[in-house]
Amino acid sequence: MILIGENIQILSKVVSNALKEKDEKPLQELAIRQAKAGADYIDLNVGPARKDPDVMKWLAGVIQEAVNKPLSLDTTNPVAMEAGLSVCKIPPLINSASGKQESKDKMLPLAVKYNCDVVLSVLIDAGIPTDSSSRAEAIMETVAYANEIGIPNERIWVDPIMMPISVDQPQVVELFEFMKILQDICPGAKSTLGLSNLSNGAPEHLRGILNRICLVMLDRYKCFSAIVDSFDEELVKLAKGQLPDIQNLIYRAMDEEVDVSGLPKKEVDIVKTVNVLMGKSLYSHSWLET
Amino acid sequence: MQLNDFFEPYKGDVKEVAIGPEGKTVKIGGEKTLPFHAFEGQVGTPVRFALEVFDAPPEGWPEHLRSSYADVLADPVAWANKCVKQFGADFICLNLASLDGENPDMKRIAENVKKIAEQITVPLVIMGIGDKDKDAKALVEIAKVCSGKNLLLGPLVKENYEEIAKAALEGGHGIIPQSPLDINLCKELNVKLTKFFPKEKMVIDPLSAAIGYGIDYSFSIMERVKQVAVIHNDEMMKAPMVANIGKDCWKTKEAKEDKTQGILWEAITAFTLVLSGANMVIMRHPESLRLVKKLIS
Repeated sequence: MILIGENIQILSKVVSNALKEKDEKPLQELAIRQAKAGADYIDLNVGPARKDPDVMKWLAGVIQEAVNKPLSLDTTNPVAMEAGLSVCKIPPLINSASGKQESKDKMLPLAVKYNCDVVLSVLIDAGIPTDSSSRAEAIMETVAYANEIGIPNERIWVDPIMMPISVDQPQVVELFEFMKILQDICPGAKSTLGLSNLSNGAPEHLRGILNRICLVMLDRYKCFSAIVDSFDEELVKLAKGQLPDIQNLIYRAMDEEVDVSGLPKKEVDIVKTVNVLMGKSLYSHSWLET
Repeated sequence: MQLNDFFEPYKGDVKEVAIGPEGKTVKIGGEKTLPFHAFEGQVGTPVRFALEVFDAPPEGWPEHLRSSYADVLADPVAWANKCVKQFGADFICLNLASLDGENPDMKRIAENVKKIAEQITVPLVIMGIGDKDKDAKALVEIAKVCSGKNLLLGPLVKENYEEIAKAALEGGHGIIPQSPLDINLCKELNVKLTKFFPKEKMVIDPLSAAIGYGIDYSFSIMERVKQVAVIHNDEMMKAPMVANIGKDCWKTKEAKEDKTQGILWEAITAFTLVLSGANMVIMRHPESLRLVKKLIS
């Protein structure tokens, strides 16, 4: 699975300070560390960048000096997006456009102009769709529009939008359902999603296990990539298929009722987490304790 | 094809909770099917109804509510007896109105609860005022003073559940854990409580809202709680549920401005939540109680 490293993002104190001070060092270090850890793309999340759209131009320049990886330019501001696109040496990923009219008008055409891949989320003017079929409906329409203006499916990375499991567990199940049918409705399209949002609101020390197991499940449903915490070593190993025992247990728990009696705690935790992600058991912050 | 082929076999059940001391025990819950699905499994006890009594005379009630209790408002025992004998309440829910105000005397409040518990013929639910600190102090004291009376104490919230539940356990009482209209937090509180508190002594309150004021949220959550218990057999969600609706119904302007409207507001709120799976309803107007009982029977 292709991993997009999320660690350069505006909500981090280190990052927001460095951006404000135009301090290259900590940002370049973050990029180098992510590349070493196994990130295939480096996401540059500068937020809406309303006051200073050129910040993306500066950041993209600084990061590509430090690492030889494609960038994922992450902003909802088309002016900032274009500023970044204009300096990228390796074709970057536009992260992201959506089915909202404004995005269709201003963001999507940039993928044509700069001939690069684009993340297309299921978001539409009416909001985030709430089940798999309305996700399908939303994305088919947006993809058809993108095709019309000259972006083929192969350059579209569909983002089904991951919701926090602690807020709306059924949405996670709906997202899996959507991933199962994606290739039927948009043949050849790639896919990605913000994995960490899954565990937003969950107890800090348990976020990793949710993210990791969900990643393996998504991989099995042919999800092409995910935006992840590059510094979660086990997650990177799982994504690269280096932990086959864990992967097999996850697959088994997805397919059947696994008898957990006698299993070591780590394996019991995996089975319980799969059950919560599949909606077989009701989520609570202490799902591993029941 | 048999008739039975159309029925769902359910794996789970709802615990049966007994409250009240020996001789006046009443049971709640115990079903192995969804609400009103008697054709698919054992239905458990009938829905139980409590009427509210206040340990200090309530203020701000509309005349068409106050008049039912005008002669007993200052005497909780007489009030409770009227609710039982004249209006047919299965339980009394004593609201600790006297906690409102500065430095309430917890000892006196607890002694008063004991006196009331001893003089009435039905089990007693004790409800705090929703102030997590005062409620905890009062309920802990009451649990001690009324040891052995098997009261049902509430509400327990995530900030005060530990101390109240421990006191309830020592005093042999049941509890009402309350969660803020969120099924995941509801489960969370149950998980934490059942580590030291018996499941058979819990009646959960997923938080009720009145018609027109968010009852749809309450309905969906209570419906899901019941489904998770009965269909999915989730051990943590098998407690019977209480819908505590009196306060929320009678603070609406619709209930306050007109007698018939007010009575219907409360009765239909109660009936709606019974449909969603409430095993017990706490109500305020005797006429609303009569109506909803009639509708169910």
